[in-house]
Amino acid sequence: MSNAPVTPAPPATGYICRFCRLPSDAGGLSCPNCGAPVDVRAAVSDSGWVEQPAIKDMAKIQFGQSVCQIEGTLVPSADFALAAGEGVVFSHHTLLWTAPGTHLEPWAKGSFFNRMYAGMPVVLMRASGPGHVALSEDHPGEVVALPIPAGRGFLVREHAFLAASDSVDYTWQNSPVWLQVQKGNESEFEYPVGPYLDVFVAGGGSPGLLLLHCPGNLFVRDLQRGQAILVQPGSWVYADTSVTFGLHAEYPASGGVRWGSYDYRTVWMRLQGPGRVAVRSIFEKPERYAGLVGSSGMSLRRW
Amino acid sequence: MDRLECQWCHAQNPPEARSCEHCGAPLDRAALVSDSGWREAPRLRDMAKFQFSNSTCQVEGELVPVAEINLSPGDGVIFEHHTMLWKDESVPVGVYPLGGGLKRSLGGMPYVVTQAGGPGRIAFSRDAAGEIVTLLLHPTMEIDVREHAFLAASHSVRYSFERIKGLANILHGGSGMYLDRFVTAGEPGIVLLHGYGNVFERTLAPGEKILLEPGGYLYKDSSVTMQAVQLNVRTGVFRHGMYLAEMTGPGRVGIQSMYHHHASE
Repeated sequence: MSNAPVTPAPPATGYICRFCRLPSDAGGLSCPNCGAPVDVRAAVSDSGWVEQPAIKDMAKIQFGQSVCQIEGTLVPSADFALAAGEGVVFSHHTLLWTAPGTHLEPWAKGSFFNRMYAGMPVVLMRASGPGHVALSEDHPGEVVALPIPAGRGFLVREHAFLAASDSVDYTWQNSPVWLQVQKGNESEFEYPVGPYLDVFVAGGGSPGLLLLHCPGNLFVRDLQRGQAILVQPGSWVYADTSVTFGLHAEYPASGGVRWGSYDYRTVWMRLQGPGRVAVRSIFEKPERYAGLVGSSGMSLRRW
Repeated sequence: MDRLECQWCHAQNPPEARSCEHCGAPLDRAALVSDSGWREAPRLRDMAKFQFSNSTCQVEGELVPVAEINLSPGDGVIFEHHTMLWKDESVPVGVYPLGGGLKRSLGGMPYVVTQAGGPGRIAFSRDAAGEIVTLLLHPTMEIDVREHAFLAASHSVRYSFERIKGLANILHGGSGMYLDRFVTAGEPGIVLLHGYGNVFERTLAPGEKILLEPGGYLYKDSSVTMQAVQLNVRTGVFRHGMYLAEMTGPGRVGIQSMYHHHASE
C-alpha cells in the first residue's frame, strides 16, 4: 500500500470530481463513483474545510457491475443492486431489508476476541448477488462514499463503517493514540478514538467502494506535508494512510489557580499531513482523563 | 383545468395547490421511487397545511417536525399523552375509552390513550429526527402500526391494539407485544405517524415477500402478514441466527431508515 496521499488521476473526460478525485461524468446529476452532486459549488470555509455535499436522494453509485442507490436525506439508506458474483460486506446491525433471494453469509475476519474486547461486531456479513440488500445506520447524518483506487486505502474510526465492496480488504490496527490514567490504585488505558482503527485497502489490483455513515455533517481538508491540525478525537472520521496521529493537551490560563487540573484540560488529537482528513460535526463528549501516568506520546501546553 | 391527483394519498386537489389539501404532500415534486421499488414518503414542506373533517393540521419544522392541529368544534384527535407538545388552555383532554390498560402497561405502552376536542389548537411531536407520515384511511381500511410511532389520529378513526401472534414474533419480531391498529368505519380519517429517519413504502403483490430488519418496520395494511424468520446466519460467536421480519402481501408496507430502539420506548 502506498503511503502517498491520494492524488487526482489525469482528467479523462475533462472533469474530475472534486470530492472523490476520480475522473467523472460531468453530464450527469451526480458523480457515478461517489454520488456527490455535480452541479454544486464547493462549500469551503475560510479556514479551508470543504463541506462534503450530501448525496442527492436516489443518486446512484456504480461499482463493478453493481449499483448502490442512496435513498433518503435524513438517515439515508444504501440500497445495493448486486450483480452476480459481486458482494458487499457490512455489519449485521445495519441491515434494513433484503430481497428473499439475496445470499447472506457470515464473514469472519481476524481475532474475534480482539473485536469483542473493542466493542466491535464480532462477525460481519456478506451479501452476494444477484439480489438486493439495503443498509442504514441509526443517526441522522450522511452516507459518505469513498471509491478506493487499486492499492490505496483509508484509516477509519470504529463504528463509522457502513459497507464495503468485497474487493476491499478490511483489517484493523491498534490505535496509535492512547492514554494511561490512574483510577484508584490501578491504572487503565483509555483510547480517545477507540482501541482500533479500521483499515480499508483496495487490494488485488481492483478498485473498491467504501461507504461510511457520518452522524451530522462531514468536512474534509488536505494537509500538506508537515502541516498539522488539532481536532476533537471524537470528531475524526477518516484519513489517508499517510496521515500521522498524535495527542496534544492544553491547559487554559487560569490565573495561577489549579483546581482539579483535568477539569479544564483539553486533550486534542493532532493530525499531521500529508494527506486528507475528515471530521464530523456530531461527536462524542470528550472524556475527563484524570491522573495521566502515560501516553502514546503527547505534547503539552499551558497557556 | 384538470384537478391534481396527489401521488401519495391519491386525493384530488385544485390545480393551483402546491401541497395536497388532504395529506400535505408536495404536489409539484415527482414521487421518488428507488429501482428496487420503494417509494419515499413525501417530506412535507415546512408550514404545509392540510384538512381533515373541519379541522386543519399544519406541519412545522423539518428535522423533528411538529403537527399543530386547529380543531373545529365537534372534531377531535386521539394521541399518546407524552407526544403532546403544547395546547390552548381551553382545549379539553380526556381518556379515550379503551380496555386493557394493564396489558398495555405490560407491553410497554402508555396506560391510557388520550383524546382532545375542539375548538382550539394542540400540537404534537416525537423525540427524534424523522418525518411525519400522513395516512388517509377510507372506510373499511385497517392499518397496523408499530408501537411508539403513532403521533395522532382524527376522531373518526377507531384505535385498538392487537397482540402479536406467536411467541417467536413477540420475542424476535422487534415490534414489541402489540401493534396499534387503526380502522375507519363511517367516514374517512387520518393517522399521523412519526417515522424515525426517512420513511419508505412499497406495495406487495399477493404472496410477494420482503425481509425487513424488525426495528425498521413502521406500518402495514392489515392484509399484510408479518412473521419472524430466523436466518441461518450467526451474528456472534455464541449467538443464534439473526431474525428478520418476513412481510407477505398483498398490501402496503412502510419502513423507517433509523430503526434504533429509542430510549422513549
